Amino acid sequence: MDKGLILHTILGLLLLLIPAGALYWLERQKIARLCFVVGRMIVQLLVLSLMVWGLFKIDRPWLSIAWLIVLALGMSWLVLKRCDVKGWALIPAVTVGLFVGVFVVGMWLLVLVLPGRALEARWFVPVMALLMGHTTSMLIRGLSTYLSALKADEQQYEFLRGNGILHLKALQPFMRRALLAVVQPTIANLKVLALTSMPLLLGGLLLGGLSPLHAFILMLSMVCGCFSASVLTLGITIFLADKSLFDKFGKQNSENKNESNEERKYLAGDGADGDIAGM
Amino acid sequence: MLEFKDATIKVGEWILPIRLSFIARDGEVTCVTGPEDSGKTTLIRTLMGFLPVHEGFVSVDGELLTIHSSHAFRQMMVYLPQQIQFLAHQLRVPEPEEPEAEEFAVWNNLMSAANTESTPEPLNAEEILMLAEQTLKEAADKPIVIADEPTAFLTPELTMRMIELLRKQAEAGKTVLVTTRKPQVADYADQVIQLYK
Repeated sequence: MDKGLILHTILGLLLLLIPAGALYWLERQKIARLCFVVGRMIVQLLVLSLMVWGLFKIDRPWLSIAWLIVLALGMSWLVLKRCDVKGWALIPAVTVGLFVGVFVVGMWLLVLVLPGRALEARWFVPVMALLMGHTTSMLIRGLSTYLSALKADEQQYEFLRGNGILHLKALQPFMRRALLAVVQPTIANLKVLALTSMPLLLGGLLLGGLSPLHAFILMLSMVCGCFSASVLTLGITIFLADKSLFDKFGKQNSENKNESNEERKYLAGDGADGDIAGM
Repeated sequence: MLEFKDATIKVGEWILPIRLSFIARDGEVTCVTGPEDSGKTTLIRTLMGFLPVHEGFVSVDGELLTIHSSHAFRQMMVYLPQQIQFLAHQLRVPEPEEPEAEEFAVWNNLMSAANTESTPEPLNAEEILMLAEQTLKEAADKPIVIADEPTAFLTPELTMRMIELLRKQAEAGKTVLVTTRKPQVADYADQVIQLYK
């Protein structure tokens, strides 16, 4: 690393003196916290950059794809943690969903839309990382909606099944809610995109030396890709998770319902309602 | 026609009806009654194919009920579940509120928070009856009606209307199987099966 780069890094970090000074004057207790998170950010960014540097340096398709698989695995753990899903049963479904959804849409962009060589790390890594980040975020919304709707509205699923509706068809109301949980925030965000401020991605592309027109085309492609990848990933994940979520009788597995013995007894027997004729 | 022959149903460690035998005939209302935890709902859920028969057998029109045949049988059935009051989304399709835009969050990889769907507001007694009428009307061609405590949340007046509704189904030649703890409902049945704890 040349001296100029180190000097520029230090000069960049010096900008933190302004918020640190303000905190010193008004809220000294937060200074230690600020130092800690800045330190952590520097380490995280450095590790990430070194990893990307390594990928760019080696620049082998198998390594880039292996990196994407590891990323999908890590993100699937994060999705399930955020969705408050206990156990590991859904890890394969979420990992495969994330990998396939991001890879298919990413390859579409890399092969048909963007100018570089598809599997060149310089293009492959940032495109897949952007898609993965957005898709993971949307999958948290979609999957949590789907799982919590199945729990909250279990009666509706059983009612539909009991009336002869096929399993997949009986799941449609829940899939619709999951889809809306993904689509609605995206629509809300697209409505205001570039209206009030410049999206960071566009800023990054301009900083990277692209002309505004090329940056616009890339930004547009990435937005479309993010939207498609999130819907595709949600669909694949829900489809693959089915075997883990339901037993052979078409009943939700108790692990996914976190149901207690009492609840199981209640659902199986008739612990219920009492006749409240006067209601 | 539905037949339970020496049927024993086991749910985990609980054994509910033991060696139960009865036939629910076409054109009749068969009422299964008994105290709480006597296995009424278990019996219905077994008939729907949601629970296995541990011993003995259950048949529908002479055909054996198994995991594989249960879906075909369910297509012949109208099912009014015990907790019908929670089926608000059958009457009103949920419309989630449109969220606020988060321009920086979505396109810059900040993780979303998980969403939690809540149980819908229970239906009131009038709505329960309305949903039962609608369900039976939509499945007019199905020959079997299964109702699990359909009057549990109804007022005495609405209970009578539900009984009339079920009697009409039987008069149309259908097999009607109802569970209840209300003697008022059992009084209108052609056959009463008593379960004990």
